[in-house]
Amino acid sequence: MNTQWNRRDCLKLALSGAATSIVRPALANAGSASAASILPLGKAEHCIFFWLGGGMAQIDTFDPKRLGDAKSKPSRSGSYYASIETAVPGVRVTEHLAQTAKVMDCITAVRTVNHRVVDEHAFATNLVHTGRMISGSTVYPSIGSIVAHERGAVDPSVPAYMLIGIPNVSRGPGFLGAKSGFIYLTDTKSGPAGFTRPADVDSARATDRLALLEPLRDRFPTQSTPADYLAAQVEALRLSGPQFMRHFDLEQETGTVRHRYGGEFGQRCLLARRLVQAGTRFIEVSHNLAFVNGTGWDTHNDGQLQQHVLIQEVDTALSALIEDLKRLRILDKTLIVVATEFGRPAAFDSGGGRGHQGTAFSMVLAGGGLNHCGAYGVTDDECKEPLENPVSIPDFHATIFATLGINPQHELLDGSRPVPITDGGTPIAKLLS
Amino acid sequence: MIGAIALSQERRDAAGEPVKRSTAVRVEICEQGLNDKDAWPDPLPTATESFELQAFGLDQIPPKYVDDGIRGARPSPSMVRFSAVLELPAGKHRFLIRARSAARLSLNGVLVVETPFPPKNGGDGSQADTERLTPLNLGPGYRFAPRGEYEKIAEFESDGGLFEVRFDVFAGGREGKNPRRVEVGETVVAIARSGTEKWELLTPLSEAIPYSDAYWEGYRTRVAKIVFDHSVAKRTALRDKNSAYWASRRQVASTWLSSTPEVSVPPLPEGLLAENPIDHFIAAKFATVKSQNRHKASEYVDFFRDVKPLLESRCGDCHRGMKAKGGLRLDSEEFARIGGDSGSVYEAGKAVESELLRRVRSTDSDEVMPPKGSRLTEGEVSLLTRWIDEGASWPELPLVRDSFTGTVDDAVFIRRAMLDTVGVPPTAEELLSFMSDSALNKRTALIDRLLEDPRWADHWVPFWQDLLAENPNILNPTLNNTGPFRWWLYESLLDDLPLDRMVTQLVLQRGGEREGGPAGFSIASQNDVPFAAKGAIVSSAFLGVEMKCARCHDSPSGAFKQEQLFQLGAMLAVRPLNVPETSSVDPVKLNAGGRTPLIEVTLLPGSTVEPKWPFPAFADPGLTNALVLNTEDQREHLAALLTAPQNERFAQVIANRVWQRFMGRGIVEPLDDWEKGAPTHPELLRWLGRELVRNEYQVKSLARLIMNSAAYQRAVDPALKMPDPLYSACEPRRLSAEQIVDSLFAVTGKPFVTEPMCLDLNGRRETGNAVDLGMPRRAWMLASLSNERDRPSLTLPRLQAVSDVMSALGWRGSRQDPSSTRDIAPNALQPAILANGVMSLWLTRLSDDHGLTEVALREQPIETLVEELFQRLLSRSPTEREKAHYVSWLELDYATRRVSNPVIEPRPHVVPKLITWTNHLQPESDPAAQERIVAAKRGDPATPRIEPRWRARCEDVIWALLNSPEMIYRP
Repeated sequence: MNTQWNRRDCLKLALSGAATSIVRPALANAGSASAASILPLGKAEHCIFFWLGGGMAQIDTFDPKRLGDAKSKPSRSGSYYASIETAVPGVRVTEHLAQTAKVMDCITAVRTVNHRVVDEHAFATNLVHTGRMISGSTVYPSIGSIVAHERGAVDPSVPAYMLIGIPNVSRGPGFLGAKSGFIYLTDTKSGPAGFTRPADVDSARATDRLALLEPLRDRFPTQSTPADYLAAQVEALRLSGPQFMRHFDLEQETGTVRHRYGGEFGQRCLLARRLVQAGTRFIEVSHNLAFVNGTGWDTHNDGQLQQHVLIQEVDTALSALIEDLKRLRILDKTLIVVATEFGRPAAFDSGGGRGHQGTAFSMVLAGGGLNHCGAYGVTDDECKEPLENPVSIPDFHATIFATLGINPQHELLDGSRPVPITDGGTPIAKLLS
Repeated sequence: MIGAIALSQERRDAAGEPVKRSTAVRVEICEQGLNDKDAWPDPLPTATESFELQAFGLDQIPPKYVDDGIRGARPSPSMVRFSAVLELPAGKHRFLIRARSAARLSLNGVLVVETPFPPKNGGDGSQADTERLTPLNLGPGYRFAPRGEYEKIAEFESDGGLFEVRFDVFAGGREGKNPRRVEVGETVVAIARSGTEKWELLTPLSEAIPYSDAYWEGYRTRVAKIVFDHSVAKRTALRDKNSAYWASRRQVASTWLSSTPEVSVPPLPEGLLAENPIDHFIAAKFATVKSQNRHKASEYVDFFRDVKPLLESRCGDCHRGMKAKGGLRLDSEEFARIGGDSGSVYEAGKAVESELLRRVRSTDSDEVMPPKGSRLTEGEVSLLTRWIDEGASWPELPLVRDSFTGTVDDAVFIRRAMLDTVGVPPTAEELLSFMSDSALNKRTALIDRLLEDPRWADHWVPFWQDLLAENPNILNPTLNNTGPFRWWLYESLLDDLPLDRMVTQLVLQRGGEREGGPAGFSIASQNDVPFAAKGAIVSSAFLGVEMKCARCHDSPSGAFKQEQLFQLGAMLAVRPLNVPETSSVDPVKLNAGGRTPLIEVTLLPGSTVEPKWPFPAFADPGLTNALVLNTEDQREHLAALLTAPQNERFAQVIANRVWQRFMGRGIVEPLDDWEKGAPTHPELLRWLGRELVRNEYQVKSLARLIMNSAAYQRAVDPALKMPDPLYSACEPRRLSAEQIVDSLFAVTGKPFVTEPMCLDLNGRRETGNAVDLGMPRRAWMLASLSNERDRPSLTLPRLQAVSDVMSALGWRGSRQDPSSTRDIAPNALQPAILANGVMSLWLTRLSDDHGLTEVALREQPIETLVEELFQRLLSRSPTEREKAHYVSWLELDYATRRVSNPVIEPRPHVVPKLITWTNHLQPESDPAAQERIVAAKRGDPATPRIEPRWRARCEDVIWALLNSPEMIYRP
């Protein structure tokens, strides 16, 4: 880092993660005559990234096909539910996405996302978060960390990257280092880990504690590494105070708004919207409420039976978020992504549920000022292979980066080694033009 | 009701002696003759090892040791047989057996009770496993089965007399065709004697051992000690078999030492002090550099402040190391002065004529330097111009300080020395006793004591985990995961295994892959060429050769080619390696953009690379035939080539790493890539390397030398932001995540109690998909919590609380690649998680098991309490100002702080909800997990023995001391 910055700047940046905009790495401008420079970059400022861990069945959600039958012997492959029309003529979704269907003109279901990696949750989760296969030579950063690293927080007084979900390495900063990591909370009832004071420490007690810490803080010269830590401590204690913590107080919202977003997942989305307004750049929101149907999105066997409850929950939250962002006139600058590690096949397993499938599945983009078309890409009747416009994981990442105004051909630095931000990904031109 | 006839008094054993009551329970492990048919073998197999216990209770099987004393895999299933002759008074007794798998209890040959074989499937998480995972509840005081063990009860009528008790249990088994972990869970025979409801462990001894939580804790500690001693004996016996070979290696080393010249220790410059030869080398270099920097004046360009950073950041990528572009190296004065292929690039005093400035100023895109990225700024160009015109001064090293700082006082010394060796600060008692010791050699004596402390191993495991990228996943390992070879690392360190022998064991990769043997190193799940990845680890760890780039192409700046990495990998694999397309660079991409690419690919995808030692410059491949036992084994050759004394690079790379651990900076930096840096003290480095060889490759011998030096014992200069390469002072050095976490628990006396590092509590899954990393006792024992599935029911909330702290402080739970240094730059999350995090809440709250609760209750003047808190937490006394501050805060209600008749709430006796892989997708598992998360965040209740308002104030003082930067910086 450039030592000429003052300490306070460093800390803000350390928290919000914007380092590259100041120090341009030597190899960063390689390959300038690129597709990205021809393609216009988007103007979105924020990203809310839904994570449907387990593998959302595209055929039961955003890429419906003919009806199948899980109960007949032998079972007949196909959708589990009927499909309905949407606001975009010719684009159909499952009947359990009825509210989303009405705002489909703000949405593009990318139906031809594909990867052909081992069908294992952890591995595919890592791939969809980092855009790369694992390597023994480095640890690749998650998309949230990359966005935080490239663009920092919109408001430097809040973290650039927040996670509502469970920490894991796939969501982490990899070689970008802790400064590009997430601040997390596991649900809307618990505040962000580290910044939420214990229940028995109110603000008066926090003030007392600070006074007790003071004599111990005086022992270091102002130009020293412990002093840098002390400055970080001041920042940490500020973030534990009301100025930052108020963003997590959903009671500030009206009952109507809270009701519109629905259950816990919806409330997480509402919190994400509040964080967008506070200036956070990237928020990953996990839909890990498996108790709804037992398996969550990993709908093997009996998990299929109550899958519609999960879908309806996403339907309510996604449509509410889109409407709310529209109402606040920030939909165009907020990209919503619905991501999952893989899809599921049209055929049913012996227990009436579905296995895993990475050869073709749907991920969804909404808002962000994109040129939406309801659906992009066509799969075969079994939803198994892309027929038109296949989209690789690097392409999907490139689209997100481009939407957020980040050149997908830009190079990150892992030590002295240049690492392209995507593994040769090309943004979906139709959405950006 | 089952009964059996007591043994007749005349019954005799095989040796003809009358059968008597046993003095212990004999435990035998049987490995042979068992299959996966879920049936009891007949006849019963013979034992392969045995030991003795106090009672019929065991919660761990000793690791199996093989080869050179490393952990191996037991066949799965194996069997454990418990037996003893004991007296059973007349009456109807009840027996309880608890076991993970099939078990049967018999008395005098009569089967009393048994448990079944578990199902063969491992489950997908949604099994209706409720019955097994809801422990029996036999009333208050009853210890619940902790890990879903089978539990069966039977009545037994005795007429009195002696009984031969046998308890056979299966350990491990199969999930489908794959082995399960060979574990026993909590395996117990308990008895409720006639007329009582109290469960005791069955024992032939007269002293009863109640089977309750509190007594079990003490019992299992004794079992752990027995298993530990048994294991040490096994390792020692196996290693003794190889002692002749290692004696011959010592002979080779000693011959080599006497046939090669010693490094001469320079004389001590006037006015400087020395404790040992290290100080001579340091002082001599200091005097030299001081004379080179004599004409330093602020109006001149300062090479280190102004020029070097510029050369490194803008020219260093290409003009560095042995493959510098155009033959020009700008990484040392010697090379820079000579210039490149086309001659000199600058001459002191003649900036205008210099090629260097012509190229940075050039407007021709084929000539301008640097070739990529932005141009040098006007300011940078003028800086270079002034520097050359002023004489291009290039001292060896910067003179950061004019003189050495003094020696630290005793309190600082013991805190520093303990943190550096055992990873935690001294207790108040250790501190005071060291300070009051008047012996002249007390520092040397303390160093000796610390080097013998078994906690040395705890402190050094993380170093090796980072270096060798130990990366176990507790669930479905697919993220470049290795086996948990942490246990091999720990035991090697505990046993003081010489480093050449330890590295030999690593390279041979034998033992159990998932059981903690060095074979675990050989695994790299979902990696396209595992052994290429391992080759890069070995070369950087032991030779200071960074070959990560060579994974896919020749190194752009280094001298090493991809083929060499694959040759090394092939030696580790003991077979030729193929180069897949995924481990190469597409030539189309390579040449995109016009200019000559920075990297080259000379090894085409599809090539096959044979095993071959790629570093003849470090060791002659011919020398190993005399050193290996099996000349056909490429791994043996590799191990010998790495560790032979003739390979001076190996000893020096290790010495440099050890030096850096204590001194904050390597003599060569970076530690893992020697091509990029020259040694600051080359003679010292050679001397240390030879000392390592001379002391039979004992890392501790280097530690002893370093810690006894004056250089190590110098006081901190708080203004130093980086370690001084001349070692004139210590810099404030942030402790590692492990040191901080371990220290926080150690100084507060709060027990480090989390939960098992395992998501398969009942051992239903195959070993390859679910390892058990045990109950962590120190921070290094954590690993990635592996919840990529993002499921609340797979969370481990207490471990998460610790992992959050460690991750913020630069620890990596998932070590997908090796690392020699950690990211320790301050960020706001670090002080935040220490101030507000769940772990800090546990450490701050005065619960009944908190070490400071007793201190706070002790009858003593308040000033003494404050003194003691400072001594315990910060290893020093408070200043007068500090003392006054905290005394005034604690004064109010101090006299009345003790509650005279505290109401002690009994622990509620509620059947625990077990959550493990087999049931984690059941609807009730997520809510149960949420409760556990809430409980972890709530922490233990505060002690009722201290009045709450004063307690809160005392906790606030503890909070302040724990959040002081002194807590996380080495003094």
